[in-house]
Amino acid sequence: MGPARENRNTPQAVLRTRRNYRRRRCCLALTLFLIIPCIARSQEPQASPSNPPPQQEDSRAIRTREFLGLGRIPDAKMAAEGSKIFASTCGFCHGADARGASGPDLLRSPVILDDNQGELVGATVRNGRPAKGMPAFPSLTEEQLRDIAEYLHLQVELSANRGTYKPLNVVTGDAKAGEAYFNGPGQCNTCHSVTGDLAHISSKISPPELQQTFLYPVAPQRSAPGVTVIFADGRKITGTLKHLDDFYVSLDDAAGDYHSIPLQKGIQVQVEDKLLFHRQMLDKYTNRQMHDLTAYLVTLK
Amino acid sequence: MTPRKCQPGCLLLLCWCLCATSLAGVASAQGLDPQKLLQSDPTDTWPTYNGDYSGRRFSPLTQIELSNVHALSLAWMFRVRIGGGAMRGVGEPDIKSTPLMVNGILYFTIPDHVFALDARTGLELWHYDWVDSGGHLIGNRGVGMKGNWLYFLAPDGWFISLDAQTGKERWRKKIADEKMQYFTTGAPMVVGNHVIVGVGGDAIDLPGYLEAHDPETGELQWRWNSEPRKGEPGSETWPNETAMVHGGGMTWLPGTYDKDLNLLYWGTGNANPVMAGQGRNGADLWTCSIVAINADTGKLAWYFQGSPHDTHDWDNTETPVLFDAEIDGKPRKLLAQASRNGYFFVLDRTNGASIVSKPFVPLNWSKGIDAKGQPIPDKQREPTIDGNLLTINGGGGTNWMPPSYSPQTGLFYVNAVLGYSLTYLTDTSEHPEGYGGSIRNLWSQHVLEALDHKTGEVKWSHPYSNADAGGGGGSPGVLTTAGGLLFSGDPVGNLIAFNAANGEILWHFPMLRALGNGPETYLLDDRQYVIAGGGDTLYAFTLVH
Repeated sequence: MGPARENRNTPQAVLRTRRNYRRRRCCLALTLFLIIPCIARSQEPQASPSNPPPQQEDSRAIRTREFLGLGRIPDAKMAAEGSKIFASTCGFCHGADARGASGPDLLRSPVILDDNQGELVGATVRNGRPAKGMPAFPSLTEEQLRDIAEYLHLQVELSANRGTYKPLNVVTGDAKAGEAYFNGPGQCNTCHSVTGDLAHISSKISPPELQQTFLYPVAPQRSAPGVTVIFADGRKITGTLKHLDDFYVSLDDAAGDYHSIPLQKGIQVQVEDKLLFHRQMLDKYTNRQMHDLTAYLVTLK
Repeated sequence: MTPRKCQPGCLLLLCWCLCATSLAGVASAQGLDPQKLLQSDPTDTWPTYNGDYSGRRFSPLTQIELSNVHALSLAWMFRVRIGGGAMRGVGEPDIKSTPLMVNGILYFTIPDHVFALDARTGLELWHYDWVDSGGHLIGNRGVGMKGNWLYFLAPDGWFISLDAQTGKERWRKKIADEKMQYFTTGAPMVVGNHVIVGVGGDAIDLPGYLEAHDPETGELQWRWNSEPRKGEPGSETWPNETAMVHGGGMTWLPGTYDKDLNLLYWGTGNANPVMAGQGRNGADLWTCSIVAINADTGKLAWYFQGSPHDTHDWDNTETPVLFDAEIDGKPRKLLAQASRNGYFFVLDRTNGASIVSKPFVPLNWSKGIDAKGQPIPDKQREPTIDGNLLTINGGGGTNWMPPSYSPQTGLFYVNAVLGYSLTYLTDTSEHPEGYGGSIRNLWSQHVLEALDHKTGEVKWSHPYSNADAGGGGGSPGVLTTAGGLLFSGDPVGNLIAFNAANGEILWHFPMLRALGNGPETYLLDDRQYVIAGGGDTLYAFTLVH
């Protein structure tokens, strides 16, 4: 709501490049709902060679783990075993999710965070911490101790590795209201059709992707914008934009010829912004309208 | 027998002797005179991360100015080469440090590495290579220096002193545990007989802190905690002790210092858990704040909280810039900050009293400001399970990149990002942990803004004409000079000189990658240089003679 709001609309470059496109704002790109390859759903993190290779994991989770320096990927199979033992043996004091109850939260425990293959966790569980009131569990086997450690490593991973997070449920709106909005104030039906470009859209992409895409598609889903360069003498070149900064514009014309033009005084650059209407709508949606629209689009199976 | 007149040979010998003496003098005086640190905007050196303690990044140099900047030319380039090329989790090296320039030598860093270069030629003198055992390689802001000693933070919590002449390690001290997900990226700041170091980390809920260490021995002198302890003032802003001692508030960016008040000014980072605030209801002091801390005792003098109860990952660590100016006709000691949350703050730095609190980008997360000038967060705009639409870029209105204040124009310059984002709550438990939520960026655009320090009004702005910033990654820092110039860069790699008064573009140089640090300037051999980092390459510019 600040004074800088006008910046969004008044900067000279944006004015210069986008003024002529207001009237075309309903001309939405057909490419809007291009389907990006669905990112593999996160599987349970795997580690041992017998498990599926890491490529099948969510790449975002892998990248984030590497960035955070969280170490190796916890073994899901062992963790699943460990989860049962933990629930019956440790959960009473540490909570079933290991986040603490009468005993401490283990997701923040140096014993877990400094542990690599169960060497610290195993010794602590086996011997207990009598001084702190933690009993010993001498009857657990080496394998069981490893499984418990692996379960704890997985709990740390799921909390600390934000690359594993997924939106829980974006379908909370009223589909009927969303349909009315689609055909009414949202003006979506001006350019889109639920039996045309949007037919079966929700069988192609997940609800969170659908929500983000109708708000504003991510870069790989957008087609290269068209551009017209108008010279001081009125001459024009039109084509597909390759590069634009404060100094040069470059484009491929219809014949496929490449043009690189220094931006001297008197030269006008008009970049076609097929998504301008979508951007303008970002200032208008209420959360309710956004969620209703999401709920409606999700019905287009 | 002394000749009455020097013979030619004798003259030559005398010259040689004088040269040798002066060369020897240079060699033995490569260290940084601590007095230089107390000067405001020195011109023959760049002795700290911000160039001086004020954080203004304003140079009084005028050799390069409005009428001749068009002739600014490349003097040399230095490309970082490290074994293996890509760095763990971040890809190609990115220079985010501001080099120190002391007696003709540049000292700069990337994570795990320190380099010393000949500032005249860009030739490497030495390279210190640290093998980390964890920590984020997201960036490193540079080194601190006192005498002949450098101070460096390795990513995995090691505080290291090096011999500036050789790059050899003198000692190392562990200041943070990378296994607990702390990481260290700051440039240590030398203040008197202290080296001030901060920490980062928010993947696991940890307390933040700021430490002073002895410059000679590295021993801890004091530690200021980002959260109060049980029963202390400020503890009433947390629901319980567990939430408080895991509350975050990291101190990862260098602060500023007023030698007359002997106060350090530091920004603190976001509260933890980062986006799931339901387990820490309250303002969560002193996270997301500007804090004034006595440099000798580590005691808090005052605070101003930029984002009470933050749930958007908006660290308030952005440089608190210090300058003196008139407000309503009276001279005032001021502090200004363009915060990641989108607000521009101007405070009285003697006591933290608010003078200006005004958004510099559009935003809908706040319902206005309270009596102290602190923004009031809108509960309705916290992250939700199904997504909350914010009219601000997910990374915030700006980030760590250094801004600049020019006393010549009275304007505060910041590279801002306009944008929209969706914020999701992903951990709905009563006691969430870690981030507990996520952000998706929608449309965004980079804009250089010039703000009036008296009102926060945007006097001029330059939106970079590159298409959508694609998620609104980092923007570069800003430098202003008494030559009427402003140096910064666009998202595609152009280093640009603007007229600081009106934003007119006067010069540019296309670097291989975008400007990633704050440009700097100094005089060497009576020539003014401008230094800028673009990706893995450092560029030096000077006027063609």
